[in-house]
Amino acid sequence: MAAGSGYLYTSYTRALAVLDTTFKKQCLSALATAVILFPLVGSNYQVHLVNLSFIAVIGALSQNLLIGYAGQVSLGFAGLFAAGGFTAALMVKELGFSAFLPVLAAASAVGVLLGVLIGLPALRVKGLYLAISTLALHAVIIYGVSEYQHRLGGSAGIVMPKPSFGPIVINSDREWYYLLGALATLVTLACINLTRSRVGRAWQAIRDRDIVAAACGIPLLRYKSLAFVVSSGLAAMAGAVDAYHAGFVSAEKYSFLLTVQYLAMVVVGGLGSILGSVLGAFVITLLPFIIDFIVHAFPTPERLLISVLQLQRIAFGVVIVCMFLLEPRGLVALWERVKTFFQLWPFKFVVARVR
Amino acid sequence: MPGMDPLLRVHNLEVTYHRRLVAIRNVSVVVPEGAVVGIIGVNGAGKTTLLRAISGFLPGEDAQITEGDILYRGRSIKGLQPHETCSLGIALVPERDKVFPTLTVEENLEAARWRGNGSGGGSREALLQRLFDWFPVLKERRRQLTGYLSGGERQMLAIAMALLNGPSLLLIDEMSLGLAPSVLADLEERLRAIRDELGLTVLLVDQFAAMVIRMSDYCYVMENGGVVFDGPPERLLAHEDVREFYLGMSDSSQAAKSYREVKQYRRRRRWYG
Amino acid sequence: MDAQLAAQVVVLASFYSLVGTGYVLVYRASRVLNFANGELMMLAAYFFFSLAVLGQRLLPLTVLMALVLAAVLAAVIYLATVRPMTGYPVFSVVLMTVGLAIVLRGIAELVWRAQARYPLEALHLPNRPLTLPAGVTITAVEAAEVGAAIAFIGGILAFLRLAGIGVQMRAAADHPVLASQRGINIHLAFALSWGLAAVAAGIAGLAFAANVRLEPNIAEQGLRALAVPLAGGLTSIPGTVIAALIVAASENLAVRYADPLLAGVVPYFVILAFIVLRPWGLLGEKEELERV
Repeated sequence: MAAGSGYLYTSYTRALAVLDTTFKKQCLSALATAVILFPLVGSNYQVHLVNLSFIAVIGALSQNLLIGYAGQVSLGFAGLFAAGGFTAALMVKELGFSAFLPVLAAASAVGVLLGVLIGLPALRVKGLYLAISTLALHAVIIYGVSEYQHRLGGSAGIVMPKPSFGPIVINSDREWYYLLGALATLVTLACINLTRSRVGRAWQAIRDRDIVAAACGIPLLRYKSLAFVVSSGLAAMAGAVDAYHAGFVSAEKYSFLLTVQYLAMVVVGGLGSILGSVLGAFVITLLPFIIDFIVHAFPTPERLLISVLQLQRIAFGVVIVCMFLLEPRGLVALWERVKTFFQLWPFKFVVARVR
Repeated sequence: MPGMDPLLRVHNLEVTYHRRLVAIRNVSVVVPEGAVVGIIGVNGAGKTTLLRAISGFLPGEDAQITEGDILYRGRSIKGLQPHETCSLGIALVPERDKVFPTLTVEENLEAARWRGNGSGGGSREALLQRLFDWFPVLKERRRQLTGYLSGGERQMLAIAMALLNGPSLLLIDEMSLGLAPSVLADLEERLRAIRDELGLTVLLVDQFAAMVIRMSDYCYVMENGGVVFDGPPERLLAHEDVREFYLGMSDSSQAAKSYREVKQYRRRRRWYG
Repeated sequence: MDAQLAAQVVVLASFYSLVGTGYVLVYRASRVLNFANGELMMLAAYFFFSLAVLGQRLLPLTVLMALVLAAVLAAVIYLATVRPMTGYPVFSVVLMTVGLAIVLRGIAELVWRAQARYPLEALHLPNRPLTLPAGVTITAVEAAEVGAAIAFIGGILAFLRLAGIGVQMRAAADHPVLASQRGINIHLAFALSWGLAAVAAGIAGLAFAANVRLEPNIAEQGLRALAVPLAGGLTSIPGTVIAALIVAASENLAVRYADPLLAGVVPYFVILAFIVLRPWGLLGEKEELERV
């Protein structure tokens, strides 16, 4: 709590609760209502955009657990995303499975196995060199799926069917919305729970000073591996969901730039914050479209219209750069700064006496 | 000390960290030209913060001078950056990380930029030769990486590097840390010789009160972010509480713990009462 | 391996060394992986092209001016974006360079359009194939690239070891706070590092543009070359050169004797091998990823 805030807990239940103030509860109710009602008021296009953001949320959370909470630098996201997507494609093509949930489970399982593999270097190296080895593994996975796709003879990729739960088939954007929304909510709740548990605390201890964590009795091997395993499983699941949603998989779309995009989501939102990942996922996914909307809202001279794409690209980059210059710790930290400013106003800072 | 215009004057200084923690408050220190001024105090007293404020390192630590001023040769140096204070003639020998680990001894000495003629008005080369006379081990080990130097040798290198900036004012932070008593005594002597020959002004900050009192012309005692006592060495040595708490010379050696606590309370009252 | 293959390896290794040196110089100064290195490489080539089109006909002068412009751009980028972020978490600074790369790429597409250009045509200079002993044929530009790589990297190494400013730059990279205390203006030293990095990448960019073609997406070559300094130890230029040779050799061998698709992956296999055997690269220093 910010200094001088005046929030006083009167019971343990209150202190431990995720939503500890009435204001937060009210906000969440309002948000939930808005989310549920949105498809009824929004256009198909808008609903589609939110769907993309929901998928991004799952991916961003997977990365945040690993990088933000456990402190393990990893650049292998695109590889895991691809693994999930291609597992789904494989199951549909080779094994004839198409039921949604089993395929998702299988993709997650593949992710988990890869997570064990990708986590092995973490036990030997840290920081930059860990990042490099995850990057190397990413390249290997991409090579593997490229080979598979090449062998199938399809340079356009593999087409995926619509997901089905028994008789129910997901067809429209609105149906996707509720499915993805439910999935994203479940994953978010699971992550909140995980980070508030012993596992989450162990991860944060390892992130801050792993040697000291080990000295306190936290088994590094177990928790580091767990971080990679959980994160990879989630990332692969996101990949499978994305494969169904996009309707096809193709090796080209899983480039390193995809990893960078998801990293941006996590850092822009705020490393080590679940809310941050959700915010970051929405911001990064929607930003190009928001810029597009703003640009087209103003009458643009004919000359510039040709260059509109480049201008949008530049604007996107400028927003990213400015975001990091302004608040490198992300949107959540920015929000904290704003909140503290208003809480302390008209004072500028709280002075704590040393004596 | 009356008479000459002081080289450095810290006036009513208050430094705040992270906009909420006041580290030092109402600190005034006067350093006359050519003198050795000492500051003693335990960990957390604010000594390092004071040195950081003088040499311009506060912004990097998210700290600000919220009150007071620092005057060097009559001019305020409050907002200056580290290399700017260095070019004015103030050289800081830091407490930790005093040498460049990936460079050799020779390269370390080369890295220090010659900024002035404060050191007795000679040239850089002449000073370098004198430094090799004072610290012969640096000459022997000039091509060695600094990782292989012992603590005392590293401190000598750090002081030599600072001197190669050609300063008028030398700030030394915790020189005694990690040094064996004999090594420290040796270093003390060399420092005295250097200072006599170059006519340097020195601000010596250390926890090792005995050494500081020995070497200084004037001493300040800092506690909890403020100056609680100051005076020439004789005055400090005569003060009961300095003797007990900083020099370890207790008059009642086997006094019960509670009596010590009483004394501490009385001392607090005396400083602040 | 026949002589022609060996020559191709040397040419590719020169390219990789130059781009890799760009990464290393920036990393040593700012402890940051500069994802805009490829874009700097591309922009240097575009500066060269524009200068040629605007009438500058003398080849050496055009090259020099293009490189100087790239260096100035890099120094400005450092002072405007990286310097204010001193003390910020490395992740944020690295992602900021990603944003920068997007901006620079967009500007290039805006100003010069996406069509392929041929700078040497603008200068009316042919890219003659040279026949060397042992039946090896490389183009004039490739030969120049190799020569430039040797000259520049050799020069940088000598500069850092010998010259007074070189020692100060190394000191600033080693321990910025202490360097400040010893009177070194670290921001000037870092701006210089960034400028030199741009020159290194720029030489590679010019060579690529003159030898192949010039279009905005040649910046991706920079990402492709990222494996090299990573394998060589991000703080060591000699390590980068050796890694460049190894990676160039394995790539060419893989393409010739195995699967062409492997070309993109082979550098990473090499890195993996290093991680297993020697995690800190060939000649780098063991260190953790911490604050800028």
